[in-house]
Amino acid sequence: MSEPQHPRDRAAWTIVAHREIVAKLRDKAFLFSTGMMLLVITVALILQAVLGNRAHHYTVATTSSAQSVVAQVAAAATAQDAKTTVTPMVVTDDTAAKAALTSGDADAWLHRTATGWALTAKSDPDAGLLTVVSEVVRQDVLAANAAAAGTTVEALTRGSVVVPEALDTSGAAGTLRTVLGFVFAFLFYISALLFGVQLAQSVLEEKQSRIVEIIATSIPLRQLLAGKIAGNTALAFAQMTLYAGIGVIGLSFTSYGRYLSDVGGPIVWFLVFFVAGFAALACLWAVAGALASRSEDLQATTTPLTTIVMAIFFGSLMAKGTVATVLSFVPPISAVAMPMRLAGGGVAWWQPAVALLLLVVFAVLILRVGERLYRRSLLQTRGRVGIRQAWTAQE
Amino acid sequence: MLTTHGLTRRFGDVVAVDSVSMTVPDGRLTGFIGGNGAGKTTTMRMIMGVLGVHAGTVTWNGAPITAQDRRHFGYMPEERGLYPKQPILDQLIYLGRLKGMSTAAARAAVLANLERFGLAGRAKERVEKLSLGNQQRVQIVAALLGDPRFLVLDEPFSGLDPDAVDSMAAMLREHVARGVPVLFSSHQLDLVDRLCDRLVVMARGRVVAQGTSDDLRTAGPVRFHVAAPGDLGWVRDIPGVLVVGQQDGTTEFEVATPGAEQRVLAEAVRRGPVTSFGRVVPPLSEIYRKVTAA
Repeated sequence: MSEPQHPRDRAAWTIVAHREIVAKLRDKAFLFSTGMMLLVITVALILQAVLGNRAHHYTVATTSSAQSVVAQVAAAATAQDAKTTVTPMVVTDDTAAKAALTSGDADAWLHRTATGWALTAKSDPDAGLLTVVSEVVRQDVLAANAAAAGTTVEALTRGSVVVPEALDTSGAAGTLRTVLGFVFAFLFYISALLFGVQLAQSVLEEKQSRIVEIIATSIPLRQLLAGKIAGNTALAFAQMTLYAGIGVIGLSFTSYGRYLSDVGGPIVWFLVFFVAGFAALACLWAVAGALASRSEDLQATTTPLTTIVMAIFFGSLMAKGTVATVLSFVPPISAVAMPMRLAGGGVAWWQPAVALLLLVVFAVLILRVGERLYRRSLLQTRGRVGIRQAWTAQE
Repeated sequence: MLTTHGLTRRFGDVVAVDSVSMTVPDGRLTGFIGGNGAGKTTTMRMIMGVLGVHAGTVTWNGAPITAQDRRHFGYMPEERGLYPKQPILDQLIYLGRLKGMSTAAARAAVLANLERFGLAGRAKERVEKLSLGNQQRVQIVAALLGDPRFLVLDEPFSGLDPDAVDSMAAMLREHVARGVPVLFSSHQLDLVDRLCDRLVVMARGRVVAQGTSDDLRTAGPVRFHVAAPGDLGWVRDIPGVLVVGQQDGTTEFEVATPGAEQRVLAEAVRRGPVTSFGRVVPPLSEIYRKVTAA
């Protein structure tokens, strides 16, 4: 086919892209899945916020003899975590203490036994409370035993303390970074797969219904492909930005909110890498659709792509150390692997820049090869088209 | 005017279209007939540029055809179906815009054409909700968008009820009347005979006949019939005459030597009353069978 010289041709792809977006926005399945994903993100963050901010109140029953120990427990618990309070409840005797446990007036009962102390609850004592009580009792008894032996607790325990230290002192921020990396990989996987399969299906639908023959007489097929890729990439990007936006807003309400400045950069990088990686894959999905002749063929023509998408997902999740560093530069896996490394922190600024450049070069190459395969297989109506056949086919 | 010269297309070792040269003149309705696998669809796809040409050329108004020319052609492919899940109006406007129309112009043209086919009230429905016949009407509306300068329609009448055939035919004549060449394929010979100014007959990838239906009918030997109550066996013995059929007191014969039919008539009158005598114009189906016979 010779190239049309019409000035409007340059804009034809925008008409196609517009249709792709409008059709998708009217697709109930697409709207539903987007809504579901937003719901999942919101619920996860709300749970996080609620669990993270939950206050613990314990009422500990005790007879007057152990009252001072319980008072120490209350002070220690609140000192450890401001949201934890322990209220002593003085009871007359053991029977009254058991009654308080049974009725639910008290959460636990601290009392002496023949060999030491016991913390009794209706079923198992709360683990958090048990830790605090054990610590306080241990300190108390140690001090008494030390005094009896003519020494002090400090003298006995000198040099025995193991202090936990981390090179990365962020703690909760580290958890957030790990989770964020996983979320990147997962979102890319879901988006690349859902959009990709639907893109392949829509290309096949056009081919099968021969509407592509009508379109091909109006605009060059290159414009059709460009429009489809642009429309889907724009929509996927918008969807991803929406998820990220909701995620960031939600995160700011949780205890992780103070680390937002740490993860803001990686999130922006992720969105940039997403666009380049997605566009390259979208082109290949379109080729997969064009190679098929019937929907039964799609299974076979999309298999290499589902494999690539899975490899990107699992590869970037499982790679560690040097392998992860290398993969973060290898397109298309770098689309996820590099943002994951960035989420982990400690990556020099030039690394994502180089990886992005490589990914964009890769995407451009794929678009060129894919465009030729797409063009040459789209109008072939006789059965499934092989890649080699499409590459060498006469138009 | 659209012309093809030696148009050829192979699929593997099979030559689907073999050196097809034909003309679709301006302001004429040209019927494209031939059996299944004769090469009609392949030829039309090559004309529309959706299938590569292995040899030969297509010219439009005397110059090699360009994609820009084709942009102003209306095309209805063989297999039907637009976007099944999209509203009719939306996708027709989309196709109009791809042809370079503005949204407003496309909308007006689509609504006017849907109105003619009685589908204006269903413009917002999805294509898959329509019956097959109505889907075909929508497809035709798509082909007619933007006042096409040439129409290529692959089996436009198949699956249409008689009313739809009439409105379709009327619509095609309108486009022919404004000087547009129209090429359409069909299996329905009587319909083609009734509608077309011109015929192109294909068989086994080749054009076996083309011209006006009168041209085709009169291309063969001149044929007469004579009917009389008595025995007509004597007609065989008249020189310059070849009897081709005989039944119920009627004999059909071809005239090998001009004027021989006059001798048959004179002899018949001499032998008794003649009930009928005249030129036989063969039906298109007979000509079709003749030209497409191996």
